[in-house]
Amino acid sequence: MEFLGFLARRLAWSLLVLVGLSVVIFVIARVVPGDPARMALGPRASAEQVTELQEKLGLNLPLYQQYGRFIGGLAQGELGQSLLTERSVNLDIRTTFPATLELVMATVIIAFLFGVPLGVAAARWKDSWPDNLVRAFAIVAAVMPTFFIALLLQVLAGYVLQILPTTGRLPTGTEFEADITGLLIVDGLLKGQLHVVFEAMRHLLLPALALSLATMGQMARITRASMIDVSRQDYIEAARAFGVPDRVRLFKYQLRPAFVPPLTIMGLEFASLIGGAFVVELIFSWPGMAAYGIRAITQKDLNAIMGVVMVSGLFFVLVNLLIDVLVGLVDPRIRIRGRRA
Amino acid sequence: MTKRLLASTATLALATALLAGAAGAQTVVTMNTVQIFGTIDPAKISDYTDYMAAVNLYDSLATVDSSGNLIPQIAESWVVSPDATEVTFKLRADATFTDGTPILAADIVYSFERLLRINQGPANLFAGVVESGAVTAVDDTTVSFKLSKTFAPFMATVPALMIVNSDTVEANKGADDGQTWLADNVAGSGAYVLDSWDRGSQMVIKRHEGYYGGFLANPIDEVRWIITNDEATVKALAASGELTMSSQFQSPDTYKALVDMGRFRMESQPTTTAFYLKLNSKAAPTDDVHIRRAIAYATDYATIREVIFPGESMTTVLPAGFADFWNADVAAPTYDMVKAAEEVAASSYAGQEIPITLSYVAGTLFEEEISLLMQANLESLGFKVTQQPEPWNRVTEIAADVATTPNVNQIFFGPTYPSPDSMFFTQFHSAAAGTWASMEWLQDPAIDALIDQARATGDVAEQARLYKEVQALMAENGVAVPLLAQTVQHAMDNCLQGFKAVPMQSFDYDMVRYSWSCP
Repeated sequence: MEFLGFLARRLAWSLLVLVGLSVVIFVIARVVPGDPARMALGPRASAEQVTELQEKLGLNLPLYQQYGRFIGGLAQGELGQSLLTERSVNLDIRTTFPATLELVMATVIIAFLFGVPLGVAAARWKDSWPDNLVRAFAIVAAVMPTFFIALLLQVLAGYVLQILPTTGRLPTGTEFEADITGLLIVDGLLKGQLHVVFEAMRHLLLPALALSLATMGQMARITRASMIDVSRQDYIEAARAFGVPDRVRLFKYQLRPAFVPPLTIMGLEFASLIGGAFVVELIFSWPGMAAYGIRAITQKDLNAIMGVVMVSGLFFVLVNLLIDVLVGLVDPRIRIRGRRA
Repeated sequence: MTKRLLASTATLALATALLAGAAGAQTVVTMNTVQIFGTIDPAKISDYTDYMAAVNLYDSLATVDSSGNLIPQIAESWVVSPDATEVTFKLRADATFTDGTPILAADIVYSFERLLRINQGPANLFAGVVESGAVTAVDDTTVSFKLSKTFAPFMATVPALMIVNSDTVEANKGADDGQTWLADNVAGSGAYVLDSWDRGSQMVIKRHEGYYGGFLANPIDEVRWIITNDEATVKALAASGELTMSSQFQSPDTYKALVDMGRFRMESQPTTTAFYLKLNSKAAPTDDVHIRRAIAYATDYATIREVIFPGESMTTVLPAGFADFWNADVAAPTYDMVKAAEEVAASSYAGQEIPITLSYVAGTLFEEEISLLMQANLESLGFKVTQQPEPWNRVTEIAADVATTPNVNQIFFGPTYPSPDSMFFTQFHSAAAGTWASMEWLQDPAIDALIDQARATGDVAEQARLYKEVQALMAENGVAVPLLAQTVQHAMDNCLQGFKAVPMQSFDYDMVRYSWSCP
């Protein structure tokens, strides 16, 4: 019951955050220089054509009325028409979101699979060469801009070695419809088309690796710090005194409580990567929502901007909610503390 | 014996496989574009990628060749009335849409009326020239266009009217005149059909074998446009053998890298797209003709053209590509700092520090370099320069008002249709004031009168005389400093043939004009 109350409060706050987000983005999108109608019609459109489209889009209405129209549409699940693609924003997001989600999931999996063990190893051999190596890697990975890593990987794997594809999600001409989940790997598996799965993974590897390095470095550092913190706890000392084997102590008693910070970071990263993947998507011609959002911003495609931001915001809120629940499951003390509070 | 049998069988199998492969071999051209395809609806197309797709998916009554001449396409011939106010087109009897249905005069009427109703894309070319109801089907294969007035450039605008299958569009009309349906589907008669379109990453079109217009020998079977403006991606695509033709917007490094691979050659051709310094003639200090001339003299044309941004020289405001209308008597502008100083001394601003704003499109490196070069030269003449980089979104807004239009503006302008009218009316006529193309704020009744006269006469020699006079006057008033005529460059596979720059939108990427010269 208490848990349901907690959930209800979090949901109410989340709704408030989303409404606030919609107001802020609505205003920002409209004060940025550039006339959406002019941008949509091209530089050679006549003034009369521009005026006609402005009226059609309601851009001549006062801001509060425009916002009212937007919220009215949103309440019915309608995000309006994109000026950039001439399609409904709902359809655009439905088409592009799975590509970004697949990329981000692969990114987080890679970051998690390598980042956490690196952090554990660094903590286990603290101040010795493995630790120094991991720390150096983590710092380099964190400070190196993603676009630079993406270009480096692209030149190396695509141009010099020519071992991996550098654009798109599948080879051009591949006849495959990802119409179940939109995720190529999952749909390929569900349909038993293993060549599609293989090709999708090959195409995914470079962009996901480029996007994951910063998160991987961050995860390694946080895991290391957290593991070292936990290793100073009395019960770990006691376990050591009782002669509990190193591996058992490390993975059974130390890693689980130390896992909370990386898990929280993973959640935050997962959500922020949804919006932050645009550099990688643009470099690798990845047809995802982040690149769509950036194009919408540069073309001042108001409905598309609102749609992408709202979906990203919703995703961010939901993932954080999920992480809160997961953290409570991993560390019961947090649940108990939450109940007391 | 067994070995020989095995060897013979293997040879036979290999030969069969090779033959089968050859029979099924498809010529695929892969090209990168630096921006996405916005729309494929011919009533809404506006930029270079839109037109690139549209010219392949749709046909018009006539198309354009590299000299700007009209070539019959759906129409086999046309007759212009003596007073040039009516044009009657005779359609090809064998012209069909890609679904096999014949193209009738009713489809032309429908396409035109739809264009006017939607009032986007190429509709502005016909505004005030051909009204709704003025295009009529005389019979199934004859269509008549009645113009509201004599408008000499009308024929040049005809290729922009792309024809849709009226039955198909009507069947999918919905509540928006088929706009939703035609955003994803094609109802055209072009040489290619849409195969797939992933908006963020690529578009693939395939050859329509039953195309009524026919193909060259060894035509291109499939065209793949990959959307990327990333130089490393382009190199990687080329290295992997996937890329056949680069976009025209790559860096010199990328072009060189591709040519060094051995598989590519550089195609470089002059265009009729001009690059100008447009000087606001209504704002101080560029309201003084001597200051404008000083700026023209302080412009280092050779450095700009040969070092900063490759291009052909321009002597008048009209690129030499419009050969019949180009005024060879106008002297080319020269870089001469002594004369520039003399002009400043002759101006009403002599003897004082002269504040001036130089504007360019933010983020465009070569424009920034040109602006810095101008700053160095102008400051040595006593100007106090303010650099004003503006995002393109804002250029269209600041151009709407004299007060917000900077003194010096770097502007590219190419013809929308293959007529000098497209260059003169849209840039220098008073009716065009307040747009990014006319940041000079010229508003000169004498120039307006000459442009109007040229529009109203069907006599080409008279048009040429009038346009040459405009060029002479423009050289006198100095409001537009012609920097260069842009060259279009592509790194192109040695086997791909057929590229010729066309002075109208993306008609040079109509893939029916290309062929593959290798086995």
